[in-house]
Amino acid sequence: MKPHTEVSFDKLYKDFENRIKDLEKLPRVKEEGSVEQMLTEKGFSRRDFMKWASAITAMLALPSSFTPLMADAIKVVDRLPIIWLHMAECTGCSEALLRSAHPTIDSLIFDYISLEYHETLMAAAGWQAEENIEHAMDKYKGQYILMVEGGIPTGLEGSYLTIGGHGKKGIDIAKEASDNAAAIFAIGTCSAYGGVQAAIPNPTGAVALSDVTNKTVINVPGCPPSEKNIVGTLMYYLLYGSLPALDVYNRPKWAYRLRIHDLCERRGRFDAGEFVESFGDEGAKDGYCLYKVGCKGPYTFNNCSKNKFNEDTSWPVQVGFGCIGCSEPDFWDTMGTVNEPLANKLYNTTFSGLGADATADKIGVAILAATAIGVTAHAVLALVKPPKE
Amino acid sequence: MQTVQNKDASHEEVHIEQELEFSTFYRLHHWVRVLSIIVLTATGFYLAIPVIAPAQNPEPTNFMYALFRSWHLIFGFVMISMFIGKTYYFLFVKSNRAEVKSIKDIFRLENWAKQIGYYFLVTKHPQLTGAYNVVQFIAYVAFYFISLGLIVTGLILYVHVYHEGMGGVLYDSMRYLEVMLGGLAFVRELHHLLMWGTILFVVVHVYMAIFNAVYGKEGSIDSIISGYKWHRKH
Ligand code: SF4
Ligand code: SF4
Repeated sequence: MKPHTEVSFDKLYKDFENRIKDLEKLPRVKEEGSVEQMLTEKGFSRRDFMKWASAITAMLALPSSFTPLMADAIKVVDRLPIIWLHMAECTGCSEALLRSAHPTIDSLIFDYISLEYHETLMAAAGWQAEENIEHAMDKYKGQYILMVEGGIPTGLEGSYLTIGGHGKKGIDIAKEASDNAAAIFAIGTCSAYGGVQAAIPNPTGAVALSDVTNKTVINVPGCPPSEKNIVGTLMYYLLYGSLPALDVYNRPKWAYRLRIHDLCERRGRFDAGEFVESFGDEGAKDGYCLYKVGCKGPYTFNNCSKNKFNEDTSWPVQVGFGCIGCSEPDFWDTMGTVNEPLANKLYNTTFSGLGADATADKIGVAILAATAIGVTAHAVLALVKPPKE
Repeated sequence: MQTVQNKDASHEEVHIEQELEFSTFYRLHHWVRVLSIIVLTATGFYLAIPVIAPAQNPEPTNFMYALFRSWHLIFGFVMISMFIGKTYYFLFVKSNRAEVKSIKDIFRLENWAKQIGYYFLVTKHPQLTGAYNVVQFIAYVAFYFISLGLIVTGLILYVHVYHEGMGGVLYDSMRYLEVMLGGLAFVRELHHLLMWGTILFVVVHVYMAIFNAVYGKEGSIDSIISGYKWHRKH
């Protein structure tokens, strides 16, 4: 990554200022209150709020002088209409964001922002709900941000997922909503790659959102994705007015550029060859690396090791449980068994029980043994009946 | 070419002649690869599941896993250079036409029938124009692609460990391949499976070499050491 020069930061600052001014002119989607008011009501002080703003600034790799700007930016967040769709999913992403015991500033802001349509949150139901989404898509055509949670079933021409009284197919809603969106974020592993319902044998033919639309989809994977990555992606769009630099899987680079393993606090233990052998052993108490008890951090791109969860309290590896690789495509299939290293991945070779629990090494040794038997038999045979000269 | 007279037990005279089978480069590259495969397999098993724990040490100077990884990478790069060298040798070295000639042999059904028959101990070894018999040639081609697969998957894994220097230069292209292969975890898995392919290749290859040395009576094992093979003179 090329470092920004001072000059370009000055320009960026001006650009952001102008963008915020432009947004300010737009009508508020929400009539009553403001973000600041809401946060004060929820018991957050201005100091908390500024701390949060500086954290987001740092996360987006901007200099700390941008912090006041970030604080201004969040005040105009209610100018951006957002439509949130639920496809084939468990609502875990929404729930994780909204139902924490101590809501974070991220989750409160998320709750506050102008969710024009969100099936879990909205008051409307039935016909009214259907009308709402059509109304929102029409009113904010080409302006709204589309956030989609869940994979898109394509089996039986998409009829595994129908929503509402008209029985509209999920795939059709997703396509239509994508066509008219200003920006599209696939929130969570399911909508980014298909998720658990796309795991082999994928009975519903679930696919990623990016597979059903030609427009650029920004993937914010995770099961669930960290709230910071969701809000950060939104703030990035709000400030820049454009899409962030994306990695090979269309994930924002500022969040998914490095592996969990690259920034893990136990990496020193890994390189030293000090591994937890089983949960609760001496190594586990000493903070040894979790590779042998199945940590998939070496194959997973995400920023959990840096940003942590629950107001920076902790993250899986810190509490002694390996990463399960939730932000990688097809992680249900490719990461093998939780709590087992990838080398112990099992293959579907049951052969009525004979090949159960077959790892690559077990299969390899079996084939090797078969080869050895074949070779020996051949050698013995050749001794008895030498080949023709 | 040298001709040597040999009287065997029945006092019947057999004349054999010496032929240069493998050049110096060929032999050298073969043994360097043998060494590399052994080191890579041994260190690779450790990297997959680190079975050896380092000795207790009060200083934080133990870098056991990093050490294994270093040797794995060093010999990985040796394998890459051998791969490039061998590819060049096969395609462009003028004195080495015998290998290329084997390509023609594989298009004759008769060669296949006879070769397989020979291995099943029922027919005679076919007369061939190239350096390798057809089954052997196909096995070597397969091994060539297994090596290629190991190199590519190995490099993809490499760029995520060392982000500067060569890792940095290769980063973007390797990530592109990583996506094509279906993610880093699968790349890692594929690397492991291809290693098993190599192990099986080595076992069969060594057996066939011994088999041919015993029954071919042409000093074919010696030829990969000294370079020379013996032919019966007709
Ligand atoms: S705990 Fe996981 S992410 Fe951390 S160093 Fe070990 S393998 Fe890597
Ligand atoms: S540590 Fe791994 S499994 Fe846990 S949230 Fe982060 S990427 Fe997902």
